[in-house]
Amino acid sequence: MNALELRNVTKKFPSARTPAVDDISFTLRNGEILALVGPSGCGKTTTLRLIAGLERPDSGSLHIKGGLVASPGHFTPPEKRGIGMVFQDHALFPHLTVSGNVKFGLKGQPAATAREITIGMLKLVGLENFGERYPHQLSGGERQRVALARALAPRPVLVLMDEPFSSLDADLRHEVREQVRGILKAMSATAVFVTHDQEEALFMGDRLAVFQSGRLEQVGAPEEIFHDSATRFVAEFMGDSDFLPGVVKENGIETELGLIPQKVNLPIDSTVEIALRSDDVNFEQSGPANALVLARFFRGAYYQYRLCLASGKLIHAFKPHTQSIHPGTSVHAYISAEHKVTVFHNGIAIGEEKKL
Amino acid sequence: MRDNFKMQIRNTLPQLRNYNISPRLLFAAGLVALFVAIPLVYIFFRAFTGGAEVWMRLLQTRIWKLLANTLLLTAAVTGGATLVGVSMSFLTERTDLPFRRIFRWMLAMPLAIPPYIGGIVHLTLLRPRGGAIPQLLAEWFGQPVPTPSPLGLGGAVFILTLFMFPYVYLLSGAAFRSLNASLEEASRTFGRSNWHTLWEVTLPALRPGITAGALLVALDVLAEYGTVALLRYETFSSAIFVQLSGRYDRSAAAVLSGVLIVIAIIILWGELRLQGQARFTQVDSQWRPAPPHHLKRWKLPASLLVAFVVFSSLLVPLIVLSMWSVQALLDPDTLASIMRSGSQTFGNYFWNSLWSSALAAVIAVLLSLPVALLSVRYPNKLTQAISRFCQVGYAIPGVVIALSLVLLVNRYLPFLYATPLVVVMAYVLRHMPQAVRASESALNQLSPSMEEASRTLGRTSLQTIVQVILPLIVPGLLAGAGLVFLTSLKELPATLLLRPAGFDTLAVRVWIWASEGFYIQAAPAALLLVIASAAPLYFLLRREQIFR
Repeated sequence: MNALELRNVTKKFPSARTPAVDDISFTLRNGEILALVGPSGCGKTTTLRLIAGLERPDSGSLHIKGGLVASPGHFTPPEKRGIGMVFQDHALFPHLTVSGNVKFGLKGQPAATAREITIGMLKLVGLENFGERYPHQLSGGERQRVALARALAPRPVLVLMDEPFSSLDADLRHEVREQVRGILKAMSATAVFVTHDQEEALFMGDRLAVFQSGRLEQVGAPEEIFHDSATRFVAEFMGDSDFLPGVVKENGIETELGLIPQKVNLPIDSTVEIALRSDDVNFEQSGPANALVLARFFRGAYYQYRLCLASGKLIHAFKPHTQSIHPGTSVHAYISAEHKVTVFHNGIAIGEEKKL
Repeated sequence: MRDNFKMQIRNTLPQLRNYNISPRLLFAAGLVALFVAIPLVYIFFRAFTGGAEVWMRLLQTRIWKLLANTLLLTAAVTGGATLVGVSMSFLTERTDLPFRRIFRWMLAMPLAIPPYIGGIVHLTLLRPRGGAIPQLLAEWFGQPVPTPSPLGLGGAVFILTLFMFPYVYLLSGAAFRSLNASLEEASRTFGRSNWHTLWEVTLPALRPGITAGALLVALDVLAEYGTVALLRYETFSSAIFVQLSGRYDRSAAAVLSGVLIVIAIIILWGELRLQGQARFTQVDSQWRPAPPHHLKRWKLPASLLVAFVVFSSLLVPLIVLSMWSVQALLDPDTLASIMRSGSQTFGNYFWNSLWSSALAAVIAVLLSLPVALLSVRYPNKLTQAISRFCQVGYAIPGVVIALSLVLLVNRYLPFLYATPLVVVMAYVLRHMPQAVRASESALNQLSPSMEEASRTLGRTSLQTIVQVILPLIVPGLLAGAGLVFLTSLKELPATLLLRPAGFDTLAVRVWIWASEGFYIQAAPAALLLVIASAAPLYFLLRREQIFR
């Protein structure tokens, strides 16, 4: 049984012209962490709020643990859904202590049990000595963990997290998200989590759902999303790709950087785009010049170069930091990728390509 | 620039939460709006069905004169209070004025002194015949010296400005404080001098605060009865009062009330136009207070100016009232008539003041809750309209509310007639806006995610209100209750018109004794009234960071 299932869910706000969430369907298995990722305003937070019951869908249906929670004729309020939610601003109750906050969701349990669970949860998040403190006496990372403990304490069937790390500093964020992933996995919790940070999504999610303009572009494992993007948008958003135009020929794809010997399932002379990441491109100072170095960015262990091709197209390439080439140098650029490259036709990835 | 500012504000508002409006909440808020609406609509109805003959008579004789008087006074006091209020807040908030921390307090405290009590004090000092200052001058020079008369327009403007400027002072002071240093610094980097920055950047940025304060002053002047009656300057409010209490010509009073409400609505509309959408001053985490300006050679004149304002608006009334009180308590005859008048004792006046104002405060805050919950959590045209509607009480002078209640209660609720509950009802109607605004601002500070967290942790919306929202907004609600209590305590005309025989409050007693010329006898009650108003005012000011 799926922990969560969305079927053709659509939600439009009265003040908006286009739907915030447009005909979205996906499922989530037990014990899985799903990251909803996309640029701001793409509908990922609305999707999370629809799952929580904080918004009502206009059409489509939602099932949690096989039970219908929302459809045009039915709506289960958030308090009856058995979910736990971690909010972007943590939303800890300032009038309650840390223990009080964690205990808040344990209403109906005998006092002794509630106390036991609270202590256990605080121990799990490493805050067993903080029970009597108030939220304002905690640091950002501690607050984050209290919010997580509070959401997990009632043993929800589903944990929802809305940009849970965005209020933390960069250093702390890396540390806390590793802890949170550990805790979720330790409890084998099923979780849906929203972020606009690709790297965070790749780190946290067992699977990713990439959103754009209210639509679901692709759902899949991190590797799949990264290496086998279904659309041009996913390749661009998840991997900082450049796109090189090309034309399909009999023996491969003809581009400004030469022929790529890769077969695509398209008629001859179709125009396509090839996604190229910085590690897919290399250049030499010898050989026929086909590009100009425009800028050099120091990235620590390596340099990233911006190259301008004869057509005016910009692409990027990595080189080790031992090799420094001045902007203004004419170079010979080529595709160095040893794996197949992703090819898009009208923004959609073209499958069934075979390396020759 | 204006549009950008608006955009920015809109973006920082809590996102519109769209789960459906609770019908119970809407029903409750609707009932509150109805309660507020009935007296207002009724007075309009009476005004415009008052009969052509009443209108003709009033149009031919009095309305034009009253209109000119009222508008002139309102404009002059609003202008004066804005000038005094903004300059006082600038000097105490943004300069190196000596003793500015104490001055900040002293400039706010005149709010605890009802203008008619201040008026009584200044009148006895300045009266052309028999006033303390003219007498002193005559003894000094051996012959009468002409002094400006406190009666009439000039006196009324002077007194009302002195006791109403704190509204502008407090609101513009808050705006001065919330101003980020970077705003003025940015202007300086564009080559503006200090002086140009003040006029081109600082004051325009303060406009929402200043206009909000000026609005309160203008509406209060329209509603003022005691001071203008005392200084014999006739306005709509005093004319309505006379019609109601003296000649019992209710049709004429209703017509005058209709005109007065129209003036108030025009002022409210004007303020909305001036204010635009720019109602919020954002204070973000990057906020730094702007550094104070150095007064240099202006230090002495500026200090003298502030000292003069504090002296005439706070110290003179307090000193005179204290001296008179001592005099009254030392004189056995006066003391006896203070302690007992008819069947009423001093304790009765005090108790009547206290319980009627406190009850009004509690009711106003309770009624404001559904309205505020609705307008803050489900902002749309309907809920905003309900909230606005519950705030029209600001614009309706006490005499008009009194008239409306007299007519309504007489006809439809005769069992309430001549009970103190009608007085409480008038307080609630008149001061509800303060409660609504306080509740709304308390709720606005509460992140919606707090409620959503409670819902996802298994609480229904009603349980969420009781277990999460209420505990968190209690301080804000108390502030609202404090304001309603404070203003109800000072209220005079509606109390005078609606009170049952024998229901004397401190305000009423002060007024009756003073209008009979027994100033010394009135002093202890007046002083007690000021102290009782100062207590909630003190706690309200303590909530502001700067007054700690």
